[in-house]
Amino acid sequence: MYTEVLEEVICYHCGDECSETPIIHQEKTFCCHGCEQVYELLNDNQLEEYYNCDLNPGISPTDKNFDFLNNKAFRDRLITFSNAEFSKVSFHLPAIHCRSCLYLLENLQKLNPEIIKTSLNFGKKDLTVWFKEDQLSLGALATLIASLGYEPHISNAAEIPQNNDQKKLFLKLGIAGFCAGNAMLFSFPEYLGIEDGSLQQLFSYLNLALGTVAVFYSGSDYFSNVYAHLKLRKMTIELPILLGILVGYGRSVFEILSHTGAGYIDSVSGLIFFLLIGKWFQQKSFDFLSFERNYKAYFPLVVTKIANGQEETAPLEDIQVGDRLLIRNQEIIPADAYLLKGQSQMDYSFVTGESELIPIQAGQSIYAGGKHLGEAIEIQISKELNQSHLTQLWEQQAFKDPNRKTENWENFANKVGMYFTVVLLSLATMAGIYWYNVDQSRWSNAVVSILVIACPCALAVSYPFALGHGIRWLAKFNFFIKDIQTFERMAQVDTLVFDKTGTLTLQSQQEPSVHFNRDLNDTEWNAIYSLVFQSTHPLSKQVKKFLQHRSILPLTEFKELSGKGLQATFDDLFVHIGSAKYTLNKLNSPEGFISSETRLFVSINQEPIGFIEFPWENRPGVEGMLHSLRHQYEVHLISGDKKEHAAHVLDWFENQDHVKFECSPLEKMEYIQALQKQGKIVAMIGDGLNDAGALKQAAVGIAVSDDHLHFTPSSDAILKGSELPRLGEYFRYSKFGLQLIKASFLLSLVYNGFGLSYAIQGNLYPLVAAILMPINSISMLVIATWGMNWKGRQLYRSKIRF
Amino acid sequence: MEIMYLMIGLSLFMAIGFVIAFVWSIKTGQQEDLITPAMRILQDDQKTNKL
Repeated sequence: MYTEVLEEVICYHCGDECSETPIIHQEKTFCCHGCEQVYELLNDNQLEEYYNCDLNPGISPTDKNFDFLNNKAFRDRLITFSNAEFSKVSFHLPAIHCRSCLYLLENLQKLNPEIIKTSLNFGKKDLTVWFKEDQLSLGALATLIASLGYEPHISNAAEIPQNNDQKKLFLKLGIAGFCAGNAMLFSFPEYLGIEDGSLQQLFSYLNLALGTVAVFYSGSDYFSNVYAHLKLRKMTIELPILLGILVGYGRSVFEILSHTGAGYIDSVSGLIFFLLIGKWFQQKSFDFLSFERNYKAYFPLVVTKIANGQEETAPLEDIQVGDRLLIRNQEIIPADAYLLKGQSQMDYSFVTGESELIPIQAGQSIYAGGKHLGEAIEIQISKELNQSHLTQLWEQQAFKDPNRKTENWENFANKVGMYFTVVLLSLATMAGIYWYNVDQSRWSNAVVSILVIACPCALAVSYPFALGHGIRWLAKFNFFIKDIQTFERMAQVDTLVFDKTGTLTLQSQQEPSVHFNRDLNDTEWNAIYSLVFQSTHPLSKQVKKFLQHRSILPLTEFKELSGKGLQATFDDLFVHIGSAKYTLNKLNSPEGFISSETRLFVSINQEPIGFIEFPWENRPGVEGMLHSLRHQYEVHLISGDKKEHAAHVLDWFENQDHVKFECSPLEKMEYIQALQKQGKIVAMIGDGLNDAGALKQAAVGIAVSDDHLHFTPSSDAILKGSELPRLGEYFRYSKFGLQLIKASFLLSLVYNGFGLSYAIQGNLYPLVAAILMPINSISMLVIATWGMNWKGRQLYRSKIRF
Repeated sequence: MEIMYLMIGLSLFMAIGFVIAFVWSIKTGQQEDLITPAMRILQDDQKTNKL
């Protein structure tokens, strides 16, 4: 018998280890024909520079066909511009990762002359292609790009397009900076006490022009926001800010026009500039992530329909009750249906949280969202997609209003803003009345100084900066938070609810355990390897990985029985692999049996040998995390799984009342609602579609994902699975952020108190107010930046030690 | 002090020039992608002839 010389061979294209016999081409090794083909294609077109930019930059390609994009509905949605000569289309390519990708994708025109030019946006991972559509169809173009390893992500029509607010904010910010800088320049004579009447007058008129632009153009959002909130009878932090701006501006207009002074234009426009920097800073967006996906993004875009005995592809929206569909291995059931032909192992773990595969026989019903494992089956649709078992969850109230969480949340700034406004207005009124009666020359001075100096700009500056830095730091740890409001809510959470399947436990990446009743010899192992090598069943693939470096024997009488297993003969060996019954293994289970583990049974020459087990294992580090979280939070577990599948997880939850099993997605959501009725502020940590309702309902919904570019249900934050053990530290960081804001707010109150004590007496000079205000804002900015970075670096160091 | 009038005029003229340039850069989308051009410039030029 011959064995191969085994050493680790790395694929020249994608850098993966070549598991089987590597393909050798031009003295280079490749792990699969796909990689080899890409290499050949690039080599033939003088694009081998690709391999010089980075080491093994490639991605193993898919042979997926995108011809369905030629369907009119898709074409019209994707093509952004088209005329007689060319068409323009943008694809989202999640696989983009290095300089080589840029090189290859911007040289696509060399691969196909019908492509005119391409342009890549690396941050968004978007590729824009100009091409001659009459020569090259959209589907063929997408297939070409996919064949290079960059499979386009075709977004669903329901995914929300990005808005264009960023551009406007940039403009306003730039103009405000221009106004503030020049206003300060023109205020210099005033600062230095230079007496030159005509110059002063010219300068103050120029200031007036700049100030008007700053207030009414750059600050226009404050007017519209305050107006919108007042209509709802709400007071936010923006009201006292707008009041400060308007009073400062109004007073300046009066002084300048009446030639009684120079006004506060420099302070007012400077304040607007700082506020807008804050607004810009808090808008950290993660362009490559989507927080808004609903169930539709999880479903296939096209399905294979069987009509009049012929297969044809059709967009998902077009399927109707009664249609017959062909579902291949690993495909997702698009709507509730009956199984017509074939047998299936249905994997519902993503939609229900149940980890066991469910065997389905012809005639039985299957639910939308299940993943079919096994040979191709035929199904008949029994319900429309939006009425299916799964999608009813999205009919709940929580999904109706996208801004529900941010709108109804009393955040710290707005709570303070409300009290602040009341106190400020009464103080100003009292001081005004007092001075009106005592010394009429002073009342307006006092009122104006109070409103200007006490403007809570400190809070408005430190707030976005502290929280903006916070979400930037957490993004470095692969914890992506949607917006700063979510970060603030994180700090107030007191109850954590975990999902089990996929969150605390995951399908093992480690070696499966072998439970055989005798040792096998090499030939027998090789026979098993050769047998699974023939099959595409997911368990076969795992065995193949586990047994790699075995050699392949020429098998005869190979048979794959769907839903049962595989069998074949080699010389005098007759090997069976599959379910317990099929391989004649006894069904009764050994002690300590946890049935969520998946097993593959083996028998040789009709003699039961035992099984290979692929356990669901706990995510490393979660035990320690749960123990440390228990001290500060109330910790709950909800799972769609059965209780006996979770014995090992249960020990980590002290209070067994806080554990609930066999929850439907809707029950999970109701569980969160019940906690909220008790006044708890809940964070939900989950991964699948079955958690979507709970994630939506909770104050903070965190989706755990092992590959964040893949599907995650709609959520407030996306956490990479490997970072889950450090979740507690991230929650502490958010708490620190809010404490920092409160501390700097107190400090600014001291500033303001100091200023106010003069202002109430009517003794505050405009010059002092003008200097105090920017100093206040800048010091808040510095404190927020320094504090959050200091703590962030600590987090970073502890991660390295971890 | 008369020189101030000239200098103020010049400085305003320049500053407004910068503002116009800034507005133009935003309107034409130059601030939208700040990562790719930095990478693009580091690409080697094409080797034109391959024997």
